[in-house]
Amino acid sequence: MLKVESLAKSYRNKVIIDDISFTINKGDIVGLVGENGAGKSTLLSILATLKKPTKGNIFLEDKSFDHSKKAIRREIGYVPQDLALWEEFTVEENMIFFEQLSWVNRNKDELRQLCVDMKLEKWKEPVHSLSGGMKRKLNLAISLIHQPNLLLLDEPTVGIDLKSKTEIGNYLHTLAKKQQKMIIYTSHDMEEIRQLCDYVIVIGKDTFYKEILLKSGKPVLSF
Amino acid sequence: MISIIRTRLIHWKKQPFSLLFWLILPILATLAIQYFTSAIQEDSKVPVGIVLEEDTELAMNLYLAIKENPLIRVYDVTEEEARRKVLSHKLDSAFVIEEGYEENVKKGSRNQIITSYKSDLSFAYTPVSQTIISLVQEDTGRSKAAYTVINLDNERSWTWEEIIQTANEIQKEENLLHTTFSYASSEEKKENQIRLWNSWGVWAIFSVLSALMLADWVIKEKRSSIKPRFPFIRFTYKWYYMGNLVPYTVLFLLIDLTAVMLFNLLLSETITSKLLLSMLSFRMMLQMGTFLFAYCFRNLYFYYILSFVLTLFVILISGVIIPMNSSWDVINPLNAFINQEVISGYLMLFTVLLIIWLMKGEKRNA
Repeated sequence: MLKVESLAKSYRNKVIIDDISFTINKGDIVGLVGENGAGKSTLLSILATLKKPTKGNIFLEDKSFDHSKKAIRREIGYVPQDLALWEEFTVEENMIFFEQLSWVNRNKDELRQLCVDMKLEKWKEPVHSLSGGMKRKLNLAISLIHQPNLLLLDEPTVGIDLKSKTEIGNYLHTLAKKQQKMIIYTSHDMEEIRQLCDYVIVIGKDTFYKEILLKSGKPVLSF
Repeated sequence: MISIIRTRLIHWKKQPFSLLFWLILPILATLAIQYFTSAIQEDSKVPVGIVLEEDTELAMNLYLAIKENPLIRVYDVTEEEARRKVLSHKLDSAFVIEEGYEENVKKGSRNQIITSYKSDLSFAYTPVSQTIISLVQEDTGRSKAAYTVINLDNERSWTWEEIIQTANEIQKEENLLHTTFSYASSEEKKENQIRLWNSWGVWAIFSVLSALMLADWVIKEKRSSIKPRFPFIRFTYKWYYMGNLVPYTVLFLLIDLTAVMLFNLLLSETITSKLLLSMLSFRMMLQMGTFLFAYCFRNLYFYYILSFVLTLFVILISGVIIPMNSSWDVINPLNAFINQEVISGYLMLFTVLLIIWLMKGEKRNA
């Protein structure tokens, strides 16, 4: 479970995020939406331990972000908005490269299976020759090598075709529901959010936020 | 650490030719330059014809002494050939060691025992003739001294041959003018093998360039798109860099050892423990220095340009190619290696800077 309590972030007296609290349970897919500059990426960066909040507490399975940053990072799979890949490497080389640097040892068959599950089958193809959708899938696959429990995705489907978007969505759904992963997902595509997420956290420039129930039967939490 | 080395191997697999090129450049360039300059040196020797008209020991010794001179290329010719070739400028000049040379030397006669031919284009005639005259004077002087010794020494009856032989032996042992620098327990180099440029000096210059060129990985990694993933790997950013520096250093050291063996084989450079230790120290200095230098850059092309400028500066101040005043030795990064010193100021400076870099800001990704 991820628990965020009264989280706030300011830069030079400018409030970016103010007093946000929410809880995410295992198997939840949460959409994070808001207009540009609303603080979505800042919130995602704080949850990824890349930025420190000005105020508030975050706990992942009772581990505080303040005291166990290193241990928490092992539980996080962060998918950056820009492709974080070696373009000149093949899919295989990229997977092996990041596996070597990862906390978890996985053999080549497991790495390949991870790609196959995501319908990324061009194992020997260099990344620069892949389509945008394939690159996005690889970007996601690399973040899953160390089998994280919390997956943070910063616009993972931006600029890709509908087929790839659907395949990524289906895979994330399987991850959450079958493997009980927690997924936080930012996107500008409300249709995609509506189809995939259990509920949505909306944050705005005027430092309001609200959680909107989509389909899981949970109550609307707050405004 | 092994994992980081494996990731580096994936990078190397992608660019084997460029890696190999920069690794072996110092060896290839040094061999090419040394062979090229040797060939030029050989071509620039003064062609001189020698006519040997008598077969005595003294005449033969003079002939061999002229032949051993590193600046003269001797052609054995007849007097007729000598005249013709000097006239057609195929020979700079020619010298005839006349019949009766030994007898004249023994008699102490120094008049017309050598005949020379020159043309209006015999530019090197004066130095060559002076060289030969000095050799003849050595013989006549020694002979005169021998007769003086025979006349003075009443206790032991020396023969002329004994005195000359003893004088030659003493000259061989104590001849300061022709003593060449050599390492302990190594064979003395013949003067004919003296090279225009120090092989290790040339190698060191190209090693600076190749180390700079291969350190570009630091900038490529620093500005790479994969940087956002670093907080989520099991190594800190700096440890990852250090881990990448290890395989490069090991690879360089292997190539350096190959250079030692090849230069020994092809350029007759002596292998000593001092050379090996100073080379190890030089390599560590280069690796740390180029790493820290590359880390200061974000623009790859600007780095390449400055690397070439830096190498040119090293060429200028090192004194390897152009002789330089020793006051530059303080900032010359090759100085310690060329003088085969193990500890250098640069090595200590870069070690301290690297430790400071490692300690500073280490917590950022921890």
